[in-house]
Amino acid sequence: MGTSDPDAELLSRVADGDPAAARALVARKLPRLLSLAGRMLGDPREAEDVAQDAFVRVWKQAPRWRAGEAKFDTWLHRVAMNLCYDRLRRRRETPMADPPERVDEGPGPDRGLLAADVGRQVARALQALPERQREAIVLCHYQELGNIEAAQVMGVSVEALESLLARGRRALRAALSDLAEA
Amino acid sequence: MTLDRFRNLAEAYGGELSRWPVDERSAAERLLAAEPALAAVLAEASALDDLLAAVPAPSASAALAERIAASAPAPRRPRLSWAWPAGLGAGLAAACAAGLLAGVHMAERASEAEALLIAVSQDYSPYLEDDA
Repeated sequence: MGTSDPDAELLSRVADGDPAAARALVARKLPRLLSLAGRMLGDPREAEDVAQDAFVRVWKQAPRWRAGEAKFDTWLHRVAMNLCYDRLRRRRETPMADPPERVDEGPGPDRGLLAADVGRQVARALQALPERQREAIVLCHYQELGNIEAAQVMGVSVEALESLLARGRRALRAALSDLAEA
Repeated sequence: MTLDRFRNLAEAYGGELSRWPVDERSAAERLLAAEPALAAVLAEASALDDLLAAVPAPSASAALAERIAASAPAPRRPRLSWAWPAGLGAGLAAACAAGLLAGVHMAERASEAEALLIAVSQDYSPYLEDDA
């Protein structure tokens, strides 16, 4: 990775215990972490927990971070994804513990589709995807990672990433066909 | 770029060429200019992009940001750390020696302590020299 890491300097100041740098890093990364975890888990509270846990790892890693070996943002995405998978696994193991929100099957016939309704319906379809397909869409569409970086985070080839993306998007299109036609 | 590749890219990355792999965008633009019918492929992919955009992300509250920032490592103490191995190492050895000597003198076992000190200093002298 020859290009310089835009987060490296800030991370170095964090390692030195600079509170302003810590605040700046939180301001820069927290919205991205919430975006990732929110879309992966479909639960804002759990997304906050994931973000906090991810920063605990950032604080530990900062003094040991060696610029040039990996991009910090890529590493952070992997950390956050692992934390999301931990929670998804726990949900499977304890299915009665706090299942994700189940909303009714859509708006009634006498009211139009509000933006919030659409958002909820798409969120449900996203949660219904296989996890790896959802991960690919979250990384590429919402987090706007490049294909090579997203594939690195997922530990797959670019071809495999494209396959996951395409299958995920096809499934979403089928699940949301009524919305797409509206 | 083939028509199939164009369709596959739209299927994977959506209807905005700016989201497509950097190294394939120019070829895609050229193909799109030559095959206007491909605009329909992009439009279909964009319709799903628009739906995906409707899913809100949790917003980052100021309280959460503050809580996380407050959990960051505390400032380091003045930079003594790099002086540790050399200066402080030798200083520590000297302090140990002094303490040991004092204790031994009080116990009136000076000769044993001196022998021990010589042994200790011999054992550790290579490390002290290296550090310095």
